[in-house]
Amino acid sequence: MDIPLLMPQLGNETTEAELTEWLKSEGDAVTEGEQILVVTTTKLSMEIEAPATGVLKQIVVPEGDLAEIGTTLAIIATE
Amino acid sequence: MPKEITVDPAIVRQKSTLSFAEIPVNAYATPFAEERARRGDAALTEILRHMLVIREFESMLGSFKATGAYAGIPFNYKGPAHLSIGQEGAAVGAALALEPDDHIFGSHRSHGEFIAKGLSAIARLDEASLQAIMGGHQDGALLQSVTSHLGGEGKALAENFLLFGLLAEIFMRANGFNGGMGGSMHAFFPPFGAYPNNAIVGASGGIATGAALRKKLSGATGITVANSGDGSTGCGPVWEAMNFASMAQFDTLWGDKQGGLPVLFFFNNNFYAMGGQTIGETMGWDRLSRIGAAINPASMHAETVDGSNPLAVADAVARKRALLLDGKGPALLDVECYRISGHSTTDASAYRTREEMQLWEPHDPIALFQAKLLAEGILTDASLAALREQVVAQITAVTAAAVNPEAAPIVDVRADPTLIGKLMFSHNEIPVPATPAPLIAQPETSARIRQNAKKARFGLSETGEKLSAMRAITLRDGLFESVLHHMVNDPSLIAYGEECREWGGAFGVYRGLSDILPHDRLFNSPISEAAIVATAVGYALEGGRSLVELMYGDFIGRAGDEIFNQMAKWQSMSAAALKVPVVLRCSIGSKYGAQHSQDWSALVAHIPGLKVIYPATPYDAKGLLASALSSDDPVVFFESQRLYDVVEQFRPEGVPTEYFRVPIGEPDIKRVGSDLTILTIGPSLYSAIAAAEQLETNHGISAEIIDARTLVPFHYEKVLESVRKTGRLLLVSEASERGSFAMTLSSNITRFAYGDLKAAPRVLGSPNWIVPGAEMESTYFPQVEDILDVVTSDFFPEKRVNRRGVRNWDDLELARLAL
Repeated sequence: MDIPLLMPQLGNETTEAELTEWLKSEGDAVTEGEQILVVTTTKLSMEIEAPATGVLKQIVVPEGDLAEIGTTLAIIATE
Repeated sequence: MPKEITVDPAIVRQKSTLSFAEIPVNAYATPFAEERARRGDAALTEILRHMLVIREFESMLGSFKATGAYAGIPFNYKGPAHLSIGQEGAAVGAALALEPDDHIFGSHRSHGEFIAKGLSAIARLDEASLQAIMGGHQDGALLQSVTSHLGGEGKALAENFLLFGLLAEIFMRANGFNGGMGGSMHAFFPPFGAYPNNAIVGASGGIATGAALRKKLSGATGITVANSGDGSTGCGPVWEAMNFASMAQFDTLWGDKQGGLPVLFFFNNNFYAMGGQTIGETMGWDRLSRIGAAINPASMHAETVDGSNPLAVADAVARKRALLLDGKGPALLDVECYRISGHSTTDASAYRTREEMQLWEPHDPIALFQAKLLAEGILTDASLAALREQVVAQITAVTAAAVNPEAAPIVDVRADPTLIGKLMFSHNEIPVPATPAPLIAQPETSARIRQNAKKARFGLSETGEKLSAMRAITLRDGLFESVLHHMVNDPSLIAYGEECREWGGAFGVYRGLSDILPHDRLFNSPISEAAIVATAVGYALEGGRSLVELMYGDFIGRAGDEIFNQMAKWQSMSAAALKVPVVLRCSIGSKYGAQHSQDWSALVAHIPGLKVIYPATPYDAKGLLASALSSDDPVVFFESQRLYDVVEQFRPEGVPTEYFRVPIGEPDIKRVGSDLTILTIGPSLYSAIAAAEQLETNHGISAEIIDARTLVPFHYEKVLESVRKTGRLLLVSEASERGSFAMTLSSNITRFAYGDLKAAPRVLGSPNWIVPGAEMESTYFPQVEDILDVVTSDFFPEKRVNRRGVRNWDDLELARLAL
């Protein structure tokens, strides 16, 4: 099953954030709760965890781009 | 919150007990013969002489206060005299172990410490150095007076210089050490290692700690000493200072700058805090030195020392000094001594018995020491009498000169009414910093800097749409860029505050700097607002530059003395000999209610000696912070939390990538108009701009909008010119109206532009009640609708429409209700 990784709500007034660094590459195995991405708002940087255990199938938004809250950033394939 | 240090539950939850490093009491046991063999008879006699000089000097002051005369010399001395008669053993003993490069910071009762330190420095410095120091002070004016009215050769001349410079200062004369601006409680002379004495109890604790930090980081030799009394252990800022000086990070995180601060907390414990008895009444510590155990595992190397014996004090100070120079600071000494004189000359000793005072008479350090010198045959009755006579003659001569206006001229304020005003600020700015500082990584490697590099410099798109804070440089980014330039190019500048490092400050202004700067340039402080500001002042007085932060302006109260009495005053109280290049950033909050959202800019602007800046745009924030960081004068820099994410909307060329400065004091016209001038402070700029658009569209009123940008100094010309054109003035700020800075501006502009006004100026601020929480904030801070209401009712009643804002109140009625 494909599980999307979404840009989370990062604060009351934040509408978009930067994908600062992908800590995993496409094809890497990821575990639920593992930190796989660093995103940055105007105020802070934070690490985003994998929502499920599986393989990082596709990085949708590349490093350095901005993405709005709720955007699909990557797809994780489980099983 | 450094990730290097783990909070491990397996350790934290173990059963154990804490033990404390033992605290010796009166441990000194060196045989006198050993001291005699090591120091020599002449040096021991000098110890007695120094104590006698202090005793006679203070007796002279006491005599002036009590009888209006000393040794037949009449004089009406109007200032205070907090004497330390009985405590000379502590002062002379400490000075005996200190070098000229060791810097003491004192209290209101520090004549003795000052004289002892000066005499010790004179004894240690060679005559050429002394000549250079004396000739260099006040362009030689003081030395000239001393030479012509007192004379002396070599070290005798230097002693006259010391005593006359001090007494002239106590008498508030122009050639006193501090130009008469310090007086009895504040006299100091840095070239002899005597730094500011402080009339606020315990205030030297934080300042000496900051000075020690500067000594440590600059590699300067020597230690700093925070002198204060036993009563100061009841003061929060003293505890904050001891805790700050003991931060574990100096050892755990500071890499090649590892090691504790070289600061000695020296408590002259005379058992009484004015009249409150510290043992048995007002404190619980039983012996003062016990408090060391509360601060760190080494118990601050604390000891209780017998202050009646200068040799015991010298021994303790020498041992602590060695520890401090070895990076094991801070240290604490509880030096017990008995004040024979009153707290001040009006003290009737109602709090102690005659019997107690008699018990202490045989323990007078002078009586004890001279008896010892006589018993050991170092002095004879005749040589002791000669010594005493010599001291009296020296003090009499100095006194006769100091009361003579020809030798010690008065400060002639009548001849130059702004004389004192001219000492408040230097208005000096350093050149653009260009000395590369050691970094842990190059700036280009920081994600923050790469992120900023991708952003537009102007905040509006080609179609006039506002860009998001992720796509254009914000006010927060503007601040960051100036801080980055100064931090990377000025190694003397350090930055700290709560959460300043990894978090980048609670609002992320410094985010990314921790990737670049080592811990000794940017660090997390404890939640100690008083210590944050006091140490910043001490760091600056010792020759560094400080950038510190209070997370919310509402915490100014926690650092009230440090901002209002320390940061604001040492430039002028030193007659401009010292400078205080401190920038204090304070954010003004929002949404968090009554204790986290107040605009207190007027409090700070009210205090003489501080420059006050409050920018509202990214361009102004960047340029003004660069000016603040370049200023040799202390600056309080306000930032609105609501504006951190605003993008530049006024300068089409955007915020320059390069370093630039905006002059401090110049208001800026943000919108040109002809019918009405609106002068705004801080975020009110944006409400005013929105209101101006509506006034233009709906009412045909053309408003000119001026952003104050700086509160102190303030150049009125641009506003006066505008009012000349429009004849109407509205001032908008988010501070509570009563006593606000907008009220000051309004009052002054009314006077300066009276003939040009078509109506009385109006201040629109926040009401005189608490800031409510987020839900109700729009009923509190002036909104666009409130501005429209005021303009159409007060200035253009013919255009009046139904009220749009919530302000239906009657200001006269509210005033009656204390609102």
